[in-house]
Amino acid sequence: MQYMLIMRSDDAAVEAFKEMPFEQVIEAMGKYNESMINAGVLVAGEGLSDASEGFVVDFTADPPLVTDGPYGETKELFNGFWILEVASKEEAAEWAKRCPLGPGAKLEVRRVHGAEDFPADNEWIQKEEGWRAEQTAKQAAQAPGGSD
Amino acid sequence: MQYMLIMRDEDAAAVERRDAPFEPMLEAMGRYNDALAEAGVFVTAHGLAKPGEGVVVDFTADPPLITDGPYGETKELFNGFWIIDTDSIGVAAEWAARAPLGPGTKLEIRRVHTEADLHR
Repeated sequence: MQYMLIMRSDDAAVEAFKEMPFEQVIEAMGKYNESMINAGVLVAGEGLSDASEGFVVDFTADPPLVTDGPYGETKELFNGFWILEVASKEEAAEWAKRCPLGPGAKLEVRRVHGAEDFPADNEWIQKEEGWRAEQTAKQAAQAPGGSD
Repeated sequence: MQYMLIMRDEDAAAVERRDAPFEPMLEAMGRYNDALAEAGVFVTAHGLAKPGEGVVVDFTADPPLITDGPYGETKELFNGFWIIDTDSIGVAAEWAARAPLGPGTKLEIRRVHTEADLHR
């Protein structure tokens, strides 16, 4: 089962994070990521750049309306995520708890849809498996030193 | 540059998607993903299961406090995402606008950090 850990910070937590020594943040996150890699549970993880760099596309209008970020109605911004492969929700929660985050930060933990959520005989679902395989191969080829 | 397309639904839009016929939705999403793959910009995409299946971990408490989902203070839930690789934010916006989504749904587009951001 895959779970996504969605990192959200309120404004004060974002500011506090910016004031922290950068090296220290990288070290704490690095150690956390390494512990998950060593346990064989880390699938993916990315951080997002400042929300003001982003923009929003609203599909209530037709054609969709594009406006500058930040995304307005969400007080607690989404700033990064991890995807873990674990045996249970409890195991995902255990890993989430060990994340080096502080006051004002929350992790929302959500199960990621897998093959079991979709009809296996649907042509688009089968095609999607193909894209994913292609993408994995591409990433392995691009990785420094090749795949392991 | 990589951009993340973050899909958010108002409650009504989420219910409407859940009640819509599954096959046409799969086909519309499939066609969109196919177009992204054909253009060479598709990196990854995932959908998320119902928020009630999840948990929330709050780091304001020490040790962090775990409660059942859904995540309470965000009205517009995060239900899935794409990561695409394009030359500019403008191209990312064009792809975002082509997603087969409807009223009550928004995509937030954010640049994904690269190693270059870590050498500040």
